[in-house]
Amino acid sequence: MSIQPAVEPSTRQGQLPPARISGNIVARRAQKRRALEGSAIFGAQVLIGFGLLAGMYALNAIGGNLLMPSPTSVARQSFIMWTDGTMLAGLGQSLTVIVLGFLLSASTGIVLGVLLGGFRVLGRILDPFVNAMNSTPGAAFIPLIIVWFGLYTEAKVVVVWNAAFFPILINTTAGIANANKELVEMAQAFGAKRSTLFWRVMVPDALPSILSGLRIGAAISTVGTVIAELTMAQSGLGGLLAAAGNRFQMDRYFAVVIVLMALGTAITALLRYAERRLGRWRVSQANGR
Amino acid sequence: MDASLQPIISLRNVGKSFKDGQVRALENISFDVRPGEFVSLVGPSGCGKTTLLRLINGLIPADEGEILVLGAAPVPGPDLAMVFQSARLMPWLSVAGNIEFVLRLKGLGASERPKRARALLGAVGLRDFADAFPHELSGGMQQRVGLARALAVEPKVLLMDEPFAALDAMTREVLRKELLQLWARRGMAVVFVTHDIDEAVLLSQRVVMLRPRPGRVDDIVDVEFPEPRWQNDPRTLPAFKQMREYLWGRIHDMVRDGAELEELAGAFGDLDRAS
Ligand SMILES: Nc1ncnc2c1ncn2[C@@H]1O[C@H](COP(=O)(O)OP(=O)(O)O)[C@@H](O)[C@H]1O
Ligand SMILES: [Mg+2]
Repeated sequence: MSIQPAVEPSTRQGQLPPARISGNIVARRAQKRRALEGSAIFGAQVLIGFGLLAGMYALNAIGGNLLMPSPTSVARQSFIMWTDGTMLAGLGQSLTVIVLGFLLSASTGIVLGVLLGGFRVLGRILDPFVNAMNSTPGAAFIPLIIVWFGLYTEAKVVVVWNAAFFPILINTTAGIANANKELVEMAQAFGAKRSTLFWRVMVPDALPSILSGLRIGAAISTVGTVIAELTMAQSGLGGLLAAAGNRFQMDRYFAVVIVLMALGTAITALLRYAERRLGRWRVSQANGR
Repeated sequence: MDASLQPIISLRNVGKSFKDGQVRALENISFDVRPGEFVSLVGPSGCGKTTLLRLINGLIPADEGEILVLGAAPVPGPDLAMVFQSARLMPWLSVAGNIEFVLRLKGLGASERPKRARALLGAVGLRDFADAFPHELSGGMQQRVGLARALAVEPKVLLMDEPFAALDAMTREVLRKELLQLWARRGMAVVFVTHDIDEAVLLSQRVVMLRPRPGRVDDIVDVEFPEPRWQNDPRTLPAFKQMREYLWGRIHDMVRDGAELEELAGAFGDLDRAS
């Protein structure tokens, strides 16, 4: 009988209690294994961290302060820059550009993406232009932006907008153009008008795609901000980087790099969180398609 | 004239082609559905069953012939409701939210919708799942929500496109019974598409048999068993056996008449079960 092997374990009633106990043991063992694995991973990470610090000390000992600052002096500079307000001012300037640029690219990218996705003809007309712009490295437009907008905050915001706008636009357009046809037909069958269909079915269906566009856009906004601050009027964290680098103050330079690392990580984590909150149903949708 | 004697759906010589006439999906389809009647459309896949439902729903226009639903050309709206093979629930809305969506399309006020949605979920035994999201439900429960959504608009015609085909045998059996009960209570006309002959005979008062390439009406048979059928299972009756044997005979005739054998075998996995 072909079904017998599958049925066997549960039909042998005499063995049911031990099976349950062993199930408990299995669960506990798995828990223990996971905990062990977790602490092993954390241990390895701490070890690598110490390794990096040791490497910095070693390079500093061999090559001097210019090749690699010692972690102690990086920590000292960090403390100085945070207490005298330099870092806070730089962070504030950078965040202003990041946030303004991101909000600008998010709002324009989503609005235009919704239009291009909803009106197919418009989307097809503009497709080659969007692609051409998206394929051009954002930095290529910096000289033009300087000529048009100058060197200060508004010009930097334009640089960020120019870099982050297209991924958001493209993701939004694709999300709406590829909206689930079965759901669209369902809503049509129940008499949904075009506008209802669009706002209550196609746009929500595109939300996961829009959110990943926003995540990419946010990452690009950070990069764009630092590039703008390095190449235009020096300001913010990028300006501090340039100033420290130009004067070969590598300890100051590293102190700023650490802040940039933390900033990038925090922004990514924030958007992941937003994505999870808004996209609870995403898993099921991915499975259902 | 008494309105109840007028057919609620009437098809006259309906034809439909796709791809600029290259694919002839339906040809010369004529039949009526009376108010409150339960009619099944049976036929192998590709014979145009789904297309026929879309035509009746008013989602696509016919190329030839005339379709009247409630005395006029069909327009999608609250008089018609569709249940699909997959539940087609919006994953970003809760179960109740999915039902409120069609209540809103029907024009119900925002204050009334939640109460109505919950009442309907009660009717299909899912009151406790109103706030759950579709992905938290099993396939059978999702299909129940799809049914509740269709009933929510209080349609005069319920269109069902192989609604139980993707479910396991036990769930299917339970849902068939529930459908019969809901139909008896509400009395809407049902057009039920299936490729399962037993299911068609079990549920419906009339079976429209379609044959493929292009989709045409092969035969229309009346099915008369003691009602209500959820209490007296007709499958034990000799008349049930006769009916299904007759319909299987029609399938075999289709094969003899030159319909592609593989095509039929694909739809009726157990073609020789009846022989
Ligand atoms: N939108 C469409 N475009 C082109 N061909 C279609 C379309 N819809 C249905 N058809 C064709 O019409 C025929 C009937 O399809 P369908 O109504 O889905 O059959 P069934 O539901 O009985 O399986 C098939 O040959 C199918 O390929
Ligand atoms: Mg079909």
